[in-house]
Amino acid sequence: MSIPVLQVQGLDVELRSERGVARILQDVTFTIPRGGTVGIVGESGCGKSTLLRAVLGILPKGAETPRGAILFDGQDILTDHAASARGRIGFVPQDPYLSLNPVFRAGDQILEIMRRHAPGSRADHKRKIVELFRAVQLPDPEGALRKYPHQFSGGQRQRLLIAAALACDPALVVADEPTTALDVTTQREILALLRRLVAERGLSLLFVTHDFGVLASVCQEVTVLYAGRVAESGPVRAVLDTPRHPYTRMLLACHPDRAADLAGIPGTVPAATAQPSGCRFHPRCPLAQPSCAAAAPPMQALGEGRAVACPWYETPLPETALA
Amino acid sequence: MPEILGASGLSVELGARRGLLRHRPGVRAVDGVELSVREGETFGIVGESGCGKTTLARALLGLQRESGGEIRLEGRSVSGLAPREARRVREAVQYVHQDPGAALDPWWRVGATLAEGLSIHGIPGRAEQQARIAETLAAVGLDPALAERYPHELSGGQQRRVGLARILLLRPKVVILDEPTAGLDLSVQAAVLRLLRDLRARFGLTYIFISHDLSVVRRVCDRVAVMYLGRVVEQGPAETLFAAPGHPYTRALLAAAPRLDGTQTGPALPGDPPSLRAVPSGCRFHPRCGLATPDCAARDPALEDAAPGHRIACLRWRDAA
Repeated sequence: MSIPVLQVQGLDVELRSERGVARILQDVTFTIPRGGTVGIVGESGCGKSTLLRAVLGILPKGAETPRGAILFDGQDILTDHAASARGRIGFVPQDPYLSLNPVFRAGDQILEIMRRHAPGSRADHKRKIVELFRAVQLPDPEGALRKYPHQFSGGQRQRLLIAAALACDPALVVADEPTTALDVTTQREILALLRRLVAERGLSLLFVTHDFGVLASVCQEVTVLYAGRVAESGPVRAVLDTPRHPYTRMLLACHPDRAADLAGIPGTVPAATAQPSGCRFHPRCPLAQPSCAAAAPPMQALGEGRAVACPWYETPLPETALA
Repeated sequence: MPEILGASGLSVELGARRGLLRHRPGVRAVDGVELSVREGETFGIVGESGCGKTTLARALLGLQRESGGEIRLEGRSVSGLAPREARRVREAVQYVHQDPGAALDPWWRVGATLAEGLSIHGIPGRAEQQARIAETLAAVGLDPALAERYPHELSGGQQRRVGLARILLLRPKVVILDEPTAGLDLSVQAAVLRLLRDLRARFGLTYIFISHDLSVVRRVCDRVAVMYLGRVVEQGPAETLFAAPGHPYTRALLAAAPRLDGTQTGPALPGDPPSLRAVPSGCRFHPRCGLATPDCAARDPALEDAAPGHRIACLRWRDAA
């Protein structure tokens, strides 16, 4: 058994400011096996982006990681700076319209990355880029090198960014909602491209999204975050078909494809500086007991790779919570 | 139900310049649109970026002057007027921006912002204004005391509700909602849709619901029009249109929406959306259409009845099924 590409173990991220300590992530654990595709889902403010920044090693100033480890290829990249994952993790950003420098040619922007992180000559790099442009199905791969970002459509720019993410032969690709800025027909093509690249190149993928439909079409495994903690994790199909955590159940009941009626979840996601005690979902949870406010429930393994951080995972939700 | 807002042969040209010596033609962002919105319904308009959804909404509102065709409001023709006049006769039609909270002036108390709309629309009495404001804030689920606060003191959701209250104060009959759920989390989206549904019933509103989220449209709309490059290519009851889409573009659009069960239906749509500056001949969709024949490049299909109330603009829709 080879070591997993990425292991996040009991990770805490805190951000100190004059308004107090924001506990943005707490005790986050998940693993991406080699060739695995793991989705992180959650609503705004759940810590998705912070998790992604921690993995990429670009946490903002003032952010601390007092506990936990991020093992990339078995080496802790939080403590061991020599093991830095830079250049070995490719990143596909959210907005293809904002993520390219408008005054540089597409080819030069990728060459810049390769000059820093990949061995070989400039000519080698150019050949590699053309090959990647072909792999991501950009029209006229040679000509695309010399074009400026504005000469590409939104979908083409996202293809360009995927090529850039692959330029240094990464062991892991991290994608941050790469299709939210795109129309559905373009989104479908980009998702199909990602699936194909994962299959053909044996890529490992960490995919952050808030869209369960997108998640279902790309990922095998999912970790659901709520207010900086893992609520539930497991194979995507199983979690979507039979969600266990009350939060996941209520969130999926809000999906227009699924809701019997437009349900909603009472209350709002708590601010990171004012997290409730115990289970962070308890103030909004119809199943909450006094014990839920006392201590955070630990993750329980349910078998078949599933785990949930709630002791009431088998208790049905009251009708009123789903109606 | 009778028609409350309708359009026939509606065209809007954008960016045209008519100089003394040079004449630059514009693009037809909306080209020959037929529309009939019935009183009390939620009428969905779907399509991808650049299909003309927002331009159509602006023309219906009277913010964008139409270059041809007719717009009817409550059985009266309201088209062909100068902008100021066009807006005045269309007072009953109001528009809710994608992020209504962003439209609040940060220097003004919420109450002042709300009162401004009333003053502009000729309700001057302060007591009358205050009473209406309190009533409307309560209707959107907010404490009337919020009128004393500034926008930054409210959460995003509260700002959104204030934005809605601002429109409802004017007692509109038709409300155009432009992407009302774009960028919202699922749980917030559910709350917003529910609020909109309750308000529709309470105030007897008619909604024009512009969205690219097909799951939401299917959920909340009674009838739907699908737009492609400035044209309505299919129109019908939401149920029929989602269960049995007739136009190849509608089929591709529905197939592209990611589904919870992770399945993929039908082939992907090839190519990028074409530009309004280079509109294809014949059927505008033909270069991307799997069913296209040479005839499709030559003949421009008109909307025809496929079933009562279900209209499709395609020469080959019978072969699609």
